[in-house]
Amino acid sequence: MLELHVWGPAFGLPSLDAHCLAAIAYLQQAVPRGKWQLIASCDPALSPTNELPALRNGDIWIGGFRNIFHYLAQCSAGEWVLDAGLPEQEGADCIAFSSFVESHGQPLIDLSLYVSTQNYTTTTRPLYSTLLPFPLPYLTPPSIRATAKQRTSHLGLSSLDIDSDDSSPSASQSIIPDSLRRPRNTVSSLLASNPEASAQIRLDALATSFFEPLQKLRAKKRFFVSESQFSSLDCLVLGYLSLMLVPELPQPWLAQCMKKKFPSLCSWTEELRKTVYGAEVTVHDAFLTKLGDSELDLRMKRLRGRGHLPWKAPDNGGALGIGGVFLSGVADGIPVVGQLRRNTRMRQHGGLTTEDGVESSSFQYLTVIASVVAGLGAVAGYMFHEGLISFGDGEEVKEKGNGDGLGSLGEAGAALGFYANQMDEQVRRQRVMEEMNARNVVPVTEVDVDVEVERTPVL
Amino acid sequence: MPPQESTEKVAEEQSSFSRSTSKVRDFFSIPAPVKQLFDLVPVVTYPPNQLPLRAPKSARIPSLYVFSKDQDAAAGRPSFNPSCLKWQTFLNIAGVDHRLISSNNHSSPTGSLPFLLPAIYGPNSSQDSLVPITSNKFVKYAIEHGGKVEESSSMRYEAYQSLLDHRIRNAWLYTLYLEPLNFSAVAYPLYVLPTSSNPLVRASISHQLRSAAEAELLKNTSIIDTDDLYSEADKAFEALSILLGEDSWFFGSDKPALFDASVFAYTQLLLDDDLGWKEKKLCRALRRRANLVQHRERLLVRYFGGS
Repeated sequence: MLELHVWGPAFGLPSLDAHCLAAIAYLQQAVPRGKWQLIASCDPALSPTNELPALRNGDIWIGGFRNIFHYLAQCSAGEWVLDAGLPEQEGADCIAFSSFVESHGQPLIDLSLYVSTQNYTTTTRPLYSTLLPFPLPYLTPPSIRATAKQRTSHLGLSSLDIDSDDSSPSASQSIIPDSLRRPRNTVSSLLASNPEASAQIRLDALATSFFEPLQKLRAKKRFFVSESQFSSLDCLVLGYLSLMLVPELPQPWLAQCMKKKFPSLCSWTEELRKTVYGAEVTVHDAFLTKLGDSELDLRMKRLRGRGHLPWKAPDNGGALGIGGVFLSGVADGIPVVGQLRRNTRMRQHGGLTTEDGVESSSFQYLTVIASVVAGLGAVAGYMFHEGLISFGDGEEVKEKGNGDGLGSLGEAGAALGFYANQMDEQVRRQRVMEEMNARNVVPVTEVDVDVEVERTPVL
Repeated sequence: MPPQESTEKVAEEQSSFSRSTSKVRDFFSIPAPVKQLFDLVPVVTYPPNQLPLRAPKSARIPSLYVFSKDQDAAAGRPSFNPSCLKWQTFLNIAGVDHRLISSNNHSSPTGSLPFLLPAIYGPNSSQDSLVPITSNKFVKYAIEHGGKVEESSSMRYEAYQSLLDHRIRNAWLYTLYLEPLNFSAVAYPLYVLPTSSNPLVRASISHQLRSAAEAELLKNTSIIDTDDLYSEADKAFEALSILLGEDSWFFGSDKPALFDASVFAYTQLLLDDDLGWKEKKLCRALRRRANLVQHRERLLVRYFGGS
């Protein structure tokens, strides 16, 4: 039984990552039903390439979309291959356009879902919170966002990210006090409140340069390279296009551009999305949580939806597993340690040694337990402290309300809310710390940037 | 009464204070005769100095600054850097006459080679015409200066260009900088040795080069997967080979164009035995495609006078 581990569902799609969507489409089309399962995962470290999607066949882990479809061809002795039998020219197009879609589509998705502050804070980040278990939403989305920013930095569109915008107006240069100055509503100042609008022209050009060759390639054909055959390129394009078209975002420039200028691509995406991924996928489908349905209902649902994806409930190793992922995320975030970890990860990949893993696992086990105990102790102490104060009040309310459950629930809710606020506070403090760290590191990064600017052309 | 007295006192103090400050100011102000003398300065203004003798002289033909060895640059041989070689070949194809100057990134206004210093037409050419031209404006420059530029408008252009810019470039970065054998045999003598004779500086520069290549590769994946890089490059060469087919030049045109130059930039360097590749995985992948090898030969003979 093959297991495909992907990032969980979002926007009614089975995953929120383009490559995961592509891998799902590939398995859905190539591998017979019942031979594979889909698992919503949250730990990219599972895969040898440290990225999702990852395919598991017994003890073998395969990471990355390309490696997965190569492996499928291998392990099924050439049976589960979508690109088989394509004419030469079409095969070449398949390779070239796959590279094109990856290299030109990824920046667009990065900009739309991660770099744009408004889209990220109102849509993407909350989505990750629904998918990931408790402490992870504080680490995983920011790190994904950081890589997205890095990938798109050469486009000069970082203005979409208003969080890190430190070009505060040069008020100190003028000697006229604020109260005496007339507010000047210049065009640029009006646009500055909405960075997407001011970058509209460049964003549109970027999106058009991505969609246009695809539209020309498909022309009147049913699929992208061939009239009858669903190829690996179609999987990839479907993954990217549905992630561009389907999400409803506060800044919908990408979907708008696609709908306005390339309606045929839109209809193709909508149609194939329904046949390949099935109807709207929700988080409950992925985690197989019951919404008051009985076993029978669930079974009925599965029977009815033939096109449904073979979800299997994730087993994320309980609190320990999540703790491990959290700690490794924290370690990656620390400037020097993170760099070291990344370096060793790269070196290791050459010849992945199993003894290494065994040796380090007991140590990891200890550190995880120690930190979990310490964290629990701190939280418990704090709760106890808070509880002592609010306990009496709760009793009074209970008595006054004639044992009305609502009153005490309200208290409990308030306490929980307070607890949540405290957690937020901690996170904010942590973020400030990180910012300070980042600021301390600034000179170093500047040097790096310098070097890169100088050296890039060498490469 | 006492309040009035105090205010008077304060006023008195103030006036005495202002008197003393004006005295101080008088003390520091320049005396009139000295000021008159100083107003005459400068007495003589000399003309600006001549540029030092070793400064580059303005030439009758534009100068292309590329990574190259001095003797190679003088002979017009191909540069050893892919992006320099691409634009050098492009200018040759477009028929824009130029001379090569061996240089490095520090000389470029953008921090990257190649760039073109336009020629001077007559002594009264304006300052604007001397602004260096960066590589992204070469096509425009070639068109403005009577070059023959024909661009294919094939829908496949962008896609196959992305094969060169990503798949093949990534494999190139890996094979040149991160394969230890190739780095010491090829990249080190070309990029590091000419910059300095100090071993410390050399070590630091080679570290910078390697980490820059690593960072570039890690932008798109979280791990450098060697097998994936090579197999993708192999597939990319396969696709380019199919695209070229039996034609002489890409996209079935009867003359080479920019795309041919971009392919040549990698094929020339990978097939050049003088560079002394030690780990030849990428070279072997390319040699298997006979029509790409012939394509490189054609361009080499036509624009660089053979090897």
